[in-house]
Amino acid sequence: MEKVKFVARWMCAAGISLLFTLSLSHPALAQNVAITGTVTTAAGAPLSGVTVRVQGSDARAVTAENGKYSLTAPSNAVLTFSRVGQRPVQTTVAGRSTIDVTMAQISFLEDVVVTGYTEQRRSDITGAVANVNVESAQKQTGASILQRLDAATPGVTVAASGSPGARSTVRIRGISSFQNNDPLYVIDGTPVQESYLNFLNPDDIASIQVLKDASSASIYGSRASNGVIVIETSKRGPAGPPRATLRVRTGVASPVRGYDDILITNALDYFKVVKAFHENAGLPVPTNIYGDPNNPSIPQYIFAAPSATIAQDQWGRPVNVDLTKYSYPNTLIMPGSTGTNWWKEVFGPAFVGNYNLDVRGGSAENSYGVSFNFFDQNGTAAYNEFKRGSVRVNTSFTRGKLTFGENISLALDRHFGGLPDDPGGYAEDGILGKNILMQPVVPVRDVNGNFAGGKATGLGNQFNPLKEAFEWRNNISKNNQVFGNVFAGLDVAKYVTFRSSLGFNVGQNAFTGFTPIFPENAEATFTNSINEQTNQFTDWGWSNTLRFVKAINRHNFDLLLGEEAGATESRFIQASIANLLNDEIDSRYIQDALGDAGSKNVFSTGGKSALLSFFGKADYNFADRYVASFTLRRDGSSRLSPANRWGTFPAFGLGWRITNEPFFANNRIFTDVMLRYGWGKTGNQLIPPGRIVSQFGGGRGDTFYDVNGSNTSVQAGFRQASLGNPDLKWEENQSNNIGADMVLFGGKLNFVVDVYRRATSNLLFDPATPGTAGIAAPPIVNIGKMKNTGIDFSIGHQAASWNLSFNGSHYKNEIVSINGVQDFFYGPITTRYGNQVINKVGNPIGSFYGYIADGYFENAAAVTAHATQDGAAPGRIRFRDVNGDGKIALDDRAIIGNPHPTFTAGLDFGMRRGNFDLSATLFGSYGNDIFENQKEFYVFRQFSANVKKDLFENSWTESNLDAKYPKMDQNDLYSHALSSYYIEDGSYTRLRNLQIGYNLPSTMQRRIPLSRVYLQGENLFTMTGYDGLDPSLPAANITGPAGDIRDQYRGVDRGSYPSNRVFSVGIVASF
Amino acid sequence: MKIVSKHPLLTGTALLIISSGALYGCKDFLTEASNPQGTLNEQTLATRNGVEGTLIGAYRTLDCTSATSSNWGCAASNWVWGNVVADDSYKGSDGTDQPPINDLEGYHWGTADAESYLDNKWRIVYEGVVRSNSTIRLLKQVVASKPGELSADDQKGIEGEALFLRAYYHFEAYRLWGNIPYYIETDTDFRKANGTAAEAITNILKDLDAAIALLPASPRNANKGRATRWTATAYKGRVQMYAGQYAAALATLNSVRNSGVYDLETSYDKVWSGFPEATNGKETIFAYQASANDGEPNGNNANYGERLNFPYSGSHFGCCGFNQPTQNLVNNFRVDANGLPRVVTDPNNWNASNANFSAAIKDPVDPRLDWTVGRDGVPYKDWGLYSTADGWVRDIANGGPYGPKKNAHEKASGAESSVGWQNTQLNSVNIHLFRYADLLLLVAEAMVETGDLNGARLIVNQIRTRAGQRAQGPGTAAANIAVPINDPSITWAVYRIGTYPSFPDATFARNAVRTERRLELAMEGQRLFDLRRWGIAAATLNAYINGVGGGAEKSPQRRLYKAGAEAFSARHAWYPIPAIQIELSRVEGEDRLTQNPGW
Repeated sequence: MEKVKFVARWMCAAGISLLFTLSLSHPALAQNVAITGTVTTAAGAPLSGVTVRVQGSDARAVTAENGKYSLTAPSNAVLTFSRVGQRPVQTTVAGRSTIDVTMAQISFLEDVVVTGYTEQRRSDITGAVANVNVESAQKQTGASILQRLDAATPGVTVAASGSPGARSTVRIRGISSFQNNDPLYVIDGTPVQESYLNFLNPDDIASIQVLKDASSASIYGSRASNGVIVIETSKRGPAGPPRATLRVRTGVASPVRGYDDILITNALDYFKVVKAFHENAGLPVPTNIYGDPNNPSIPQYIFAAPSATIAQDQWGRPVNVDLTKYSYPNTLIMPGSTGTNWWKEVFGPAFVGNYNLDVRGGSAENSYGVSFNFFDQNGTAAYNEFKRGSVRVNTSFTRGKLTFGENISLALDRHFGGLPDDPGGYAEDGILGKNILMQPVVPVRDVNGNFAGGKATGLGNQFNPLKEAFEWRNNISKNNQVFGNVFAGLDVAKYVTFRSSLGFNVGQNAFTGFTPIFPENAEATFTNSINEQTNQFTDWGWSNTLRFVKAINRHNFDLLLGEEAGATESRFIQASIANLLNDEIDSRYIQDALGDAGSKNVFSTGGKSALLSFFGKADYNFADRYVASFTLRRDGSSRLSPANRWGTFPAFGLGWRITNEPFFANNRIFTDVMLRYGWGKTGNQLIPPGRIVSQFGGGRGDTFYDVNGSNTSVQAGFRQASLGNPDLKWEENQSNNIGADMVLFGGKLNFVVDVYRRATSNLLFDPATPGTAGIAAPPIVNIGKMKNTGIDFSIGHQAASWNLSFNGSHYKNEIVSINGVQDFFYGPITTRYGNQVINKVGNPIGSFYGYIADGYFENAAAVTAHATQDGAAPGRIRFRDVNGDGKIALDDRAIIGNPHPTFTAGLDFGMRRGNFDLSATLFGSYGNDIFENQKEFYVFRQFSANVKKDLFENSWTESNLDAKYPKMDQNDLYSHALSSYYIEDGSYTRLRNLQIGYNLPSTMQRRIPLSRVYLQGENLFTMTGYDGLDPSLPAANITGPAGDIRDQYRGVDRGSYPSNRVFSVGIVASF
Repeated sequence: MKIVSKHPLLTGTALLIISSGALYGCKDFLTEASNPQGTLNEQTLATRNGVEGTLIGAYRTLDCTSATSSNWGCAASNWVWGNVVADDSYKGSDGTDQPPINDLEGYHWGTADAESYLDNKWRIVYEGVVRSNSTIRLLKQVVASKPGELSADDQKGIEGEALFLRAYYHFEAYRLWGNIPYYIETDTDFRKANGTAAEAITNILKDLDAAIALLPASPRNANKGRATRWTATAYKGRVQMYAGQYAAALATLNSVRNSGVYDLETSYDKVWSGFPEATNGKETIFAYQASANDGEPNGNNANYGERLNFPYSGSHFGCCGFNQPTQNLVNNFRVDANGLPRVVTDPNNWNASNANFSAAIKDPVDPRLDWTVGRDGVPYKDWGLYSTADGWVRDIANGGPYGPKKNAHEKASGAESSVGWQNTQLNSVNIHLFRYADLLLLVAEAMVETGDLNGARLIVNQIRTRAGQRAQGPGTAAANIAVPINDPSITWAVYRIGTYPSFPDATFARNAVRTERRLELAMEGQRLFDLRRWGIAAATLNAYINGVGGGAEKSPQRRLYKAGAEAFSARHAWYPIPAIQIELSRVEGEDRLTQNPGW
């Protein structure tokens, strides 16, 4: 056995060494010549942005504004010229030094796109591949390119908050699994499956392809189940001296809407609500804040410590206090406020800046691109900021038949402030949860300038949100990441190329946080603490591919063989300590002497996983008429059972370019039409590693016990922490796609449509075990089935001076089976009033669940007439007796809403007039419901929170039976039950972007190195019927034992960072 | 290199084969990356330490609040199930906080909110069963594979303790749901049908008998928290009482009494206390061993489950004002001129007062009142005067003016945690699960039911005599937290406690014993279960809400919200089994668990 291992290791090492040797060996050198030239349109206008490639190498150039290019190529090389919307041109150098080319406008089907491991013409692709309009997607001020992908690409949905550096949750064609639905990102050939692409500078991105169906994605088999997004960063420069481009954009962001548009901001108005709530319930109206209920007044002090109070009025309100007794944190005095606008205190305009410099250049045998980026986005919430600095270096070297180079980026980002990007499970405790719903009578600061709070009966249980923001201002999330690859390619022969690429993603995330004391709260705390976390990770992947491209007469063959290996390793450590003697930032370290040593806590854990894959792809094209492709991939995953570790993922696709048929020639409507069909299987293995076997553990605060009765010490104890499943196997997704790519009316109209059906089987998930089996994490099993059906389309028109594209998509998600026994399981989050989400067979994932609200009880007779309902009374919400058994009970709950949109659409418009251009992007989402959970607070007044502005006027009374809100009633602990009363239509249409630009004439550019200036506005208007803060909800950040389960909890508004309206100005300068 | 250029296809294929081979050679590559990180496996635990540690883990679920689960519905003290749902306490606090308890208190037990608490309790009692069974299985594995690893005494002791705990947890399940499934160490199907309540009793008694046979008379390794033969015997007696087997119970309980292992504490203040010298005294039969400042950074072992049950922000504790004693309970402590409970001697008027029973009112009371209830103007152990005016109560309109007291530690005891969020509410006061006074009162009850009225009277008087030893003192120093009940320093109350000269008949005796049990064990999580086994839960609780002894909880002078409570009816005989658990028991479309009647 040992010997086998040794041999295996030797093979492993030998393989690596040999490849190094090969990559370092010098093939015969060809003679190089310098080439320059101009590319023009048929009409003679210069064409910029044309990529000129030396075939078989990575050397390339891009034409400038005047259509000129220069590069160095072997004297016998073949040059290809390509540009979106132009027919590619191919020509041999044949010793020439000047090569001028004319390009003809053609259908997008001739575009060359990067898909799986290769570049392909669109017309050779039989799967559903969307080419993202990067230029449009870049017109946004977010930290990640992903934020605007939904408007640009049919079939893609993106959820992101307005938080600086927010995570974008990208979903392609519905939801394929109960957990971990992030697509696979392949960046310059290096895969990464995590939607936090903040390390990637949006300005570095040259192209994005979205591989939506299995026939296109299965080449990435193992991880392609959720779709693949192929991102290529800007390549190296054209031959010639360095050319630099500076892009600067600065702007101001403000929230699209604030709670001050929704909530009461005047303290006496709020009192009217308090009074009504008590009077309607037959309870005495509290007088400790507003005094005489019939003649309420703003108190001089909402709170004064008894020892500082000299005199009280008849209502018990302090009217005379001894300010000298004030002593933080024990003896506090807080004045009354006539009306604190808590939203305005925390949220306001914020600065955004993005600075980008890139330098590109090269010679015949090498080329490079270097870029520097600094991005600084302040949050619209106070003390909240995201900063990123990144450097990217892309190089390529050609030595005859050998090319090699690297694409590497180093990114450092910093997120300051305690606001999470996405609401977490217990979102109500954050600044944006219930805390910002603090009553208006509470002042921001006390008499001594310290932060005030609701430290008096009836003022609620909220934390001062501004204090939270302020005290958390030094909470920092740091990410340091090196991402990229080194590659080598060898033209083994004219039709054979070998390519090897080693990708890596190495980094460190760290967090340091501080929790202050809250003596000003009703439930005061006097313990501060700090915590630190560090996660180090190393991912690497090595892929080797061999490609044969050969044309024999009209038969074109393209064969790709490859193998890939990758592993990931991470190690996480966290520590905390409480009761810091000195809470100054310089003393916030975890050392026994600095705090209470007994509270020190250290914990570390880690993860390991590996993947090994072999794959092949064969493409055949006959006369540009018939296209067929076949893919086969075999993947082994360390996360799965040794017996079921290997999965096979086949796919095929057929294409018919019908317009190239003789009988279709010269059709006046259909200029270029390709019909496609694809079928394929993809896999998913993204579960936490190590779940094949059962895990045991415990903890000092979990299984340890003071069995000795010492009261001050515990003995170690253990429990089963999770149940393993030795049979874990691949989750599989089968997809069928029928599509058509059409160029109509001689190129005036482009139309792409795809209809699909995706079925996931052997769904990996962890259904709950019965309580009698204990609390160990249930095993992850492969039983469930899920289905997505849908349609994506896009229509584009390109005229000389304007263009318009519209895309739309629809999907329907359905859980087909859970485990063959259960027909539902609840969502992962139980709010204070229960669980409003159900995953039920026959319905989409994350459906809303609860009673059906049937208006209000009109009167006592209506109560009697209705089925028995707990707490039924006039003015309270009436729930429907769904099962007709005469009583309202849990079995009357029904599915009451669907968080998935029935239709999403994006509209991109652009026009040019002389040197001016204008572009606009609209996005809309329709038919999705929102569970407006904030009503718990601002309608039902849980925790004495602030309430809706119109609550007093629009609540139920005997003369307002059809009111918007139920009767204000302190004793109504029933109407708040989870019901359809919380459901709102989340449809909206939003002007995502409007940009007006001016391109400076070249005559002016000679004097100032400025080529373009523009003004940009984002989220300028929103049309929606949604009553909450922002219908564009981020995905909640929820993780379970089987991974990221945010898709089980969509569309629940628990208070989230609203989108930003941003006005910015930008310049582009080249020199 | 010439070969390369001359035979491109060959070279290319060779390259691919070599690189594939290289990686295929790293086949271990996948296996090596498959191990879980940072966990233990079954083999590691198949040792002495593994078995003992698994047993420790089984004890830990006596209180379910821990670093991995915090839910007040499964606190060791059963304060929600035993006190709030009965007539001892209100949910208290703010009307909207912890809404599940609103539903439980209003007997709306079928709601989703109520179910969240019920489910947590269900899951944790069965987790206790799972850990007990794991201990037994692991023990057998170690005994079989490593003879000599464990001594014969340890083998017996470990098995006995695990069997006792298994019985204990099933008994907890029985007390809530009655008709429960019973799981032993060989069970592998966790979707078993539930048995009847009678079957549960049979199984519990069977496990207790087995445990009694195996367990030593004194705790193994001298660890005071461990169950002994006498712990198991005492529980056997308690279970027999629940089953109405009075004669058998009397014999079992008397054997414990006669063993001389247990005794009453000399005074009542030592029963619930944070002072180390008072914990695990003679009166403790079984307790959740709380620990504070034990190196756990968040105070999770320091009665996390009780943390809501402290006076509110104006007090030292700062939060959260739950589990507030009822006006009814407070009035229960009123005594007549002879120091006997007015509940017994003045059945029509004892509960007439709606007034805040503050220090200003000098009606005579049982001194246990001020060890059980925080009252205005009365010293709160050694934390100063309890004061609603200073914000010791969160919302008087909602929960009334009183506060819980038994679970609070004394300032001088040093039992307070120095760590954890709101560390002032975390302490190492052990939670009594079974104490000797409880056992004595069970004996008295059994005596009444078997006709020995005088025997019962002597026990009641023994309890009352002890109760008369010490009252709440000024609490300005450790020495005067408890003082003689007629101490001149007492200005906030008139304490009086008398003994019964006779029990004229069985009805009187039964009433006196039951009254004594409520007074002695008030706020200790027993009340609802007692009312149920006496068969008077519906009568008592409906009267508590609608009117008894001259007072009604639903009156506007008390808790108006109680008017929204559902009548306590036949279906409240058992709590509903969590619907989700019934759903999870489904096999081939059929629910294996059957819901309790009426739910």
